[in-house]
Amino acid sequence: MFIRSIRAAVSAVLVVALAAGCGGVGSSGKDSGNATVTLTMMGFGTGDEVAQTRFDAANAAIAPSSAKASEGSFSAQQFLSAVASGSPPDLVYLERRLLGTYAVKKAIVPLTDCVEREKIDLGQFRPAAVAEATLGGTLYGLPEFYNNRVLMINDTAFTEAGLDPATFSTADWPALTAATRKLTAVRGGKLARIGFDPKIPEFLPLWAHANGGALVSEDGKKAQLTDPKVVEALTFTVSLINAQGGWAKFKSFRDSFDFFGAKNQFATDQLGAFPMEDFYLNVLTESSPDVKLTVAPFRGVDGQPVDWITGNAWAIPAKSPHAAQACKWIKTMTESGSWIAAAKARAAARQAEGAPFTGLFTGNVKADEVIFKDVVKPTGHPGFDKAVQTVLQTQQAGFSEPALAAGEEFKAAWQDAVNRVLSGKQRPAEALAQAQQQAQAALDKANSGS
Amino acid sequence: MTALQEPQALAPVETGPGRHSGRRQRHRWVLWTALSAAAVIFVYPFVWLVSASLKPRPEVFDNALVPRHWAPENYATIWSAAPVFTWLVNSVVVALAAAAAVTVSSAIVAFGFAYFRFPGRNLLFASVIGTMMLPGAVTMIPTYLIWNELGLAATQVPLWATNLFGSAFYIFLIRQFFLGVPRELFEAARVDGAGYWRLFWRIAVPLCKPALIVSFVFELRASWSDLLKPLIYLRDPALFTMPRGMKSILDQFGQAGEARWEVVLAGAVLTTVPMIIAFFLCQRYFVEGVATQGRKG
Amino acid sequence: MTARRRETWAAYGFLSPWIVGFLVFLAGPMVASLVLSFTDYDVLTSTDFVGGENYRMLLADPKVRGSLANTMFYTVLHVPLTMAVALGLAMLLARAGRRSAGFFRTIFYLPTITPKVAVGVLFLLLFNGQVGLVNGVLGFLGINGPDWTSDGAWIKPGIVLMSAWSLGSTVIIYLAALQNVPRDLYEAAEMDGASPWARFRAVTVPMISGALFFTLIINTISSLQTFDEVYTAFFGSANQQTYGNDAALFYVIYLFQQAFQFLHMGYASALAWLLFLIIMLITLVQVGLSRRFVYYESE
Repeated sequence: MFIRSIRAAVSAVLVVALAAGCGGVGSSGKDSGNATVTLTMMGFGTGDEVAQTRFDAANAAIAPSSAKASEGSFSAQQFLSAVASGSPPDLVYLERRLLGTYAVKKAIVPLTDCVEREKIDLGQFRPAAVAEATLGGTLYGLPEFYNNRVLMINDTAFTEAGLDPATFSTADWPALTAATRKLTAVRGGKLARIGFDPKIPEFLPLWAHANGGALVSEDGKKAQLTDPKVVEALTFTVSLINAQGGWAKFKSFRDSFDFFGAKNQFATDQLGAFPMEDFYLNVLTESSPDVKLTVAPFRGVDGQPVDWITGNAWAIPAKSPHAAQACKWIKTMTESGSWIAAAKARAAARQAEGAPFTGLFTGNVKADEVIFKDVVKPTGHPGFDKAVQTVLQTQQAGFSEPALAAGEEFKAAWQDAVNRVLSGKQRPAEALAQAQQQAQAALDKANSGS
Repeated sequence: MTALQEPQALAPVETGPGRHSGRRQRHRWVLWTALSAAAVIFVYPFVWLVSASLKPRPEVFDNALVPRHWAPENYATIWSAAPVFTWLVNSVVVALAAAAAVTVSSAIVAFGFAYFRFPGRNLLFASVIGTMMLPGAVTMIPTYLIWNELGLAATQVPLWATNLFGSAFYIFLIRQFFLGVPRELFEAARVDGAGYWRLFWRIAVPLCKPALIVSFVFELRASWSDLLKPLIYLRDPALFTMPRGMKSILDQFGQAGEARWEVVLAGAVLTTVPMIIAFFLCQRYFVEGVATQGRKG
Repeated sequence: MTARRRETWAAYGFLSPWIVGFLVFLAGPMVASLVLSFTDYDVLTSTDFVGGENYRMLLADPKVRGSLANTMFYTVLHVPLTMAVALGLAMLLARAGRRSAGFFRTIFYLPTITPKVAVGVLFLLLFNGQVGLVNGVLGFLGINGPDWTSDGAWIKPGIVLMSAWSLGSTVIIYLAALQNVPRDLYEAAEMDGASPWARFRAVTVPMISGALFFTLIINTISSLQTFDEVYTAFFGSANQQTYGNDAALFYVIYLFQQAFQFLHMGYASALAWLLFLIIMLITLVQVGLSRRFVYYESE
């Protein structure tokens, strides 16, 4: 292999220069199955009780062996350096959308054997989460969180504009445009309130789905960026932003939001409504518990809820020195018992702070059932309680983008296209046509390789 | 240009009341106004940082320079949540090793380039500069492989050891200062029978102390704030340097973007303060160059 | 042994640390990256030679052209601006009283030691087109400030202004150089009736030309490789990356994306070597032009 020859060449340079043989350190001991080992990992830190509780449970499951958290999120430089030197970690924790790229390059292994050996019940996971971790019918990661996208509505702004938050929906696009115009406020020539933020580029997959299209075919092999449904979704969302003064003003104003703070855009009435990830509900309960907020499912043009799902997953690198224990470890990490214990720990911690616990949205159906039945208590803020129920219902309509062999390039292609349209350099059809070419070329190359 | 005479006894830069006392007063006033105005702009980021680190989470980005609610507990939080002391000690050790190594070795190499005339000099110097021209992203992994072959990939050694061999930036910088030393000083010493090492150690180094201190301070800072190398090389949290540790805190609560900025910024202040002290202690040597040496005779 | 040969041996003795370091730690990786630029290396799978394919691709890649143009634009503005402002500040500092100078020196260096994350975040807050302090001040003066952080036409000028924060290092180099300018030269010039500007041109500039030359070369090389500040401000988090504005896409940021996001290490190596050649050409031109102006005591 070429890499080996590079390594040999590098070693040779060393030997010549130092006039001494510097033997490489041997890789750590072979996996014997039940020896006491310490699992290494990348991308995971045990910062909060949700992580720590499950981490302890997973360690107990492989005792007397144990795992050591890496502290710090996934970094490609770190992972690639380790893999290139032939000393990968035992485990890696990363966004599910990245799995496909590493899977197709055989840097992480299929979990088929692992699932079989440890009798992991895949039925406990939500299908959309499993789909996001599956490439070409093979599972490469065990899913963790389940991040939902729902519609968050600022009641104050709606009342002021004479609109009813309860009947607001993203299903009727002309009505959405009209509502956006009503909700947008301009004072002294400056934007004072964004009426409706479609959150593009990042939520384009959601809009495409809502319009009955998709950016990529279900097998993840064909880009569909020129699909009229996609073009239409982009054209519409850009028109929403242009109706509010255009991208530069819009983004500058939005950047000024105190997003995580007490003066966030809901508390200060700077935003009418937007689709957003569910974690933001937790932010709002902490930073401004008194905002008047309505949460509704994001609806497609057919009136049905659509919920775009993302999250992280555990994977096992190729040449993981202790693959067997690693498998056992991630099984415990993601199973319902661990999640429930974690939820209880979080609830206790929140109670100690005098703050409400609004639940965890995990990729594990069984865990969620117990957590929301037994652990989550009413918060005392009916708006938030109702919001949590809405998210739970919306979850049933979850879809995920298929795993892709060139996920990052694919994403860069369509996001660049959206940015070109937003900055007025290209029209939607033209930008997406260019992106389609780039994306398809990247997918073809990645799928043909290896 | 003609070579200069040996520096005479030089007047200190800030002269006392001179011939044009009134004009000088006015000059002083203009000088102070200009310096103070610039200082406000340059001090702003740090003041903002300190202020933000003393705010509760919901107010971190509220852009007020005086916190509405004070939250000094951020510092207690970071101190108890992470082995900050260990990380600071690691950073001090690594930064001092890196800075000392690079200053000494670069000075030696720089003298080689500044004093001697020898075949291959220009080509060699060009390759010194050339090593700065290739973006590090593509040599990162091959360099990692070398350290891995040496069995030192998971230690702190790669963070400073390459500095033992000099570094292009500092070689170039110190060389520029060595070139400013009047050659007559060296020739005179040669006539007195001094060896090359003595020329370097007794003449070049003392006369160019500011350049050496500057190199030391620059590398201290660069090493102190480097994140990429610790990120790639260090696996064991007990070996982390401060920036690497801060990253783990930044990521800790990072699920879906809930980073605890107030704690991270408190850590940023803790990271910055030792550097400010180090810089303040070193900066007075910047002005003790040839001028002072000359004055001492 | 002749004196000449002895001198050569001594010279190589002084250079030996660098030569050893170069052979062990620099030459290998540099050669490796050059070789890899002719392959489809992705770190993870087997690597094949693809001939000049990467170089053909980068000539046709619009992002290479775009990011190179951004980087050039930035360099052309940033380098002279930094040098001029830093020299101005250094000359002010050199005239300040001994005690206060230490205070001001530390202050000018502060942004350089302040962690990049904080500076990046602060830049976005201050330069926000709608509510930022900068446009607030401009508005007070009756100027309607642009959207520095979101309008493609203004992002780069904004970045150039942000970069002024990090000129502390250049100030210090000039300061160290200014201390070595003999006072008697100024006095002689003053006695000849030279104006302050003439003294600056005839005494200061030639006497610190070594430092000016150094900062010109170094700042150009590092500007062409700008990464940290712009990356933290515009590409640092996944959220910001989404808006990865073409106007803020600098060459090394694109290179970094190719290497570690798209795993095209071979292509990234080709990008690196193209930049290497460009920097080398620019440096050669600068060295050629500077030769006339730089004055060394030793030569």
